[in-house]
Amino acid sequence: MLNIEKTKVDQHIILTLDGEVDASNSVELDMAIQQLLADRVSKILIDGSSLEYISSAGLGVFMSYLEDFEKTGVRFVIYGLNTKVKNVFHILGLDQLLAIKDSEQGALEVLYEE
Amino acid sequence: MFNFNKLNIGKITALVAILAWLSLLFTDLTRLFGELNQIHTAIAPELSWALEIVFFILIYIFYNNAINKTGNYNFIGLIWKAASTALVAAGVSGLIIFFYFLLQDSKLSKDPLLLNFFYHVNFGLTTIFLISSTMVWKHLILYQKNKIVVQQWQAFEVVLLMSMFFMFFNQNTLDYSFIFGLVFLVIFGSILSANLKWIPYLSFKDKWKALLFMVIILTSAAYLFVQLISYSSSNFHLVNLTDNLFLLGLFGFVFLYALFSFLVTLFNLPTSSVFEQKLKEAINFQRLSRSIQPGQNESQVLDILMDSCMSAAYVDAAWMEIQRKSLPTEVVHQRFISNQDRKEIREMMDSSKPFSEYFKEGVRWKKDFVMGRLGHDLYTSAIVFPLKVNKDLFANIFLLKEVNDGFNKEMVDIIATFVGQATISVENHRLLNEAIKNERYKEELEIAQRVQRSLLPSRLHHNNNFSISGFSEAADEVGGDYYETFQFNENKFALIIGDVSGKGTSAAFNMSQMKGVFHSLVQLDLSPAEFLSKANSALSHCLERNHFITTTYYLIDTSVNSIIYSRAGHCPTLYYSSEKGESEYMEVKGMGLGIIRSANFKNYIAEKFLEYKTGDVMLLYTDGIVEAKNADGEEFGYDNLRLALNEHHGLGVHEIKEKLIQMVYEFVGSSTLPDDDYSMVVVKFLR
Repeated sequence: MLNIEKTKVDQHIILTLDGEVDASNSVELDMAIQQLLADRVSKILIDGSSLEYISSAGLGVFMSYLEDFEKTGVRFVIYGLNTKVKNVFHILGLDQLLAIKDSEQGALEVLYEE
Repeated sequence: MFNFNKLNIGKITALVAILAWLSLLFTDLTRLFGELNQIHTAIAPELSWALEIVFFILIYIFYNNAINKTGNYNFIGLIWKAASTALVAAGVSGLIIFFYFLLQDSKLSKDPLLLNFFYHVNFGLTTIFLISSTMVWKHLILYQKNKIVVQQWQAFEVVLLMSMFFMFFNQNTLDYSFIFGLVFLVIFGSILSANLKWIPYLSFKDKWKALLFMVIILTSAAYLFVQLISYSSSNFHLVNLTDNLFLLGLFGFVFLYALFSFLVTLFNLPTSSVFEQKLKEAINFQRLSRSIQPGQNESQVLDILMDSCMSAAYVDAAWMEIQRKSLPTEVVHQRFISNQDRKEIREMMDSSKPFSEYFKEGVRWKKDFVMGRLGHDLYTSAIVFPLKVNKDLFANIFLLKEVNDGFNKEMVDIIATFVGQATISVENHRLLNEAIKNERYKEELEIAQRVQRSLLPSRLHHNNNFSISGFSEAADEVGGDYYETFQFNENKFALIIGDVSGKGTSAAFNMSQMKGVFHSLVQLDLSPAEFLSKANSALSHCLERNHFITTTYYLIDTSVNSIIYSRAGHCPTLYYSSEKGESEYMEVKGMGLGIIRSANFKNYIAEKFLEYKTGDVMLLYTDGIVEAKNADGEEFGYDNLRLALNEHHGLGVHEIKEKLIQMVYEFVGSSTLPDDDYSMVVVKFLR
């Protein structure tokens, strides 16, 4: 089960992920991000505090947009991940490519830094 | 064997019957001869009667046998049998009269012996005609028989048998008891004659034939009857064979049944077309309801459907339009109408109610059909039936008639039934095809499974310095986990474990690519970091955008007790150190293959070196193991795995592997199915 909620705050959009991302619903996450890119949102914040599990398919979604983010200058920050999920990002090495912060505050700093 | 016997019975009875007839003739002629020459021959009439009864019974058995043997219900053929016998009997009788006419008043014409001979011939043929007709009638009466009719017929046969012996009681005179017996037989026969269930099953043409044959039988019977009466009244003979209750009773029965059949057939003539129509509808319905046989296609069912609808409603022209998603409408089974007329009518329908409304509504149309008048020169009424399969409109049937309001309720009902049945057939056909397709997919998947199993090594390279054991289990038919070894020389080995993102078939494909990459690169004897960089650039070309592979690559050199390894995003290796007396996860930075698809990748990986000691255990595994969930949704986790290795490190590699796998399965429990691939390789250093 995955619930994706979209909220607009200031200049950024927060995607709140609630539940688990696996092969069956990673498409939903993919579509949500794709929509944001299509809407030319330049600052994206992922609230992962309610994310309990992410499978390789879910990681694949984030991975597939790395290039797009870099090319279009979109700032993409993930925060609030629990230890287990954070470890999954870490093991794969994605934490070296994505901005992953513990708190929303830290994430906002990255998002809005000059 | 059985047929052989039956054939013999027929032949034997016929032969014996002829013998009986000859002896009867001989007996009577002898008696007559004696009488004429005043020689006392002392032949009692009872002998003639007895021979007569024998003759009756034999003929009865013969025909009963002959008609039962045919066994089919070709009514016209049966009636023709009776009619032809009637013709022969009447014809021969006619010839005899003609013969006497030729003789005029010659002496021979008065010869009682010759007269008596012809009398016997007449008697024999009349008997054959009556009994054969009775047997045909029996067959007709017992068509669609029930218990009561069968019992009635059996009783009738018993009465007939008794009537044969009647002459012994009344000495063959025409007294009241004779009249009473005759009336009884005739009434019984007429009751049986009410069984005429075969008549409706005759086609119109056959009914005419039946009428003709019945007329032949009736006139022949009447003629033969008159003939016999005239013989009896001429009173020339000593033993009257024909004034006998059995024969006269049969005359009554044969005549009555023929008369009833004639009249009922005659009155059935006008309605026979309706009955034929209903029968045809029933047969069409049956054809439709049989599900499509293998090798047949939907088109054949639709063809039958069109034929059925057309004949049910006397339709003058028709066609069917098949609609397929994103394809132009296809016109099929066009009947008795030109393309131009069809197009004209179709345009007319699009613009005139109620058809225009139907075409606008499409699937949402509530009624089973749409019916109305047409402004066309030739076709003035039309009805359109939609064919729906799984709630999708799949075809429209257009039926046209040249008369106004040509479709009545009965026709519409029967067409609706046909349409419903055809829909079921088509639906069944599609379901069957789908099932076959699924079965084929399953087979393909099984093949893929076998191929993939063969991708995992059946034996792992090692030498006396270490032992090794591997395990892999896929959640689906095929999986994305991979491990393999390679031996460079007697001391140097390569070892790899990998996990392809996603699962199932796509993961299995990527896994086989990984295997290919491993085998081509391992030959180059690269350092682990170089190996992973090259593997990354190779896989970057073939992995889908959102797919990646995690792997760890190890080089083991037993000559210097060294392990050099690099990690590409794979789960950290668990290592039991005999020196420390506990196991820990080996930290080294890394990055999954295919995540960074550029030369930049090499900056994200590192190489580590360690020197192993005797008794050290290295555990390679995939994330399926640590992420295995139990019914409460808890994961097996890294800690459990570490503690398990602490506990079991002293065992041999196979036992360690078995223990760990068993622990994981026990943790997951039997109620939940594994939803990821599990793989594990255990390496134990022996010296």
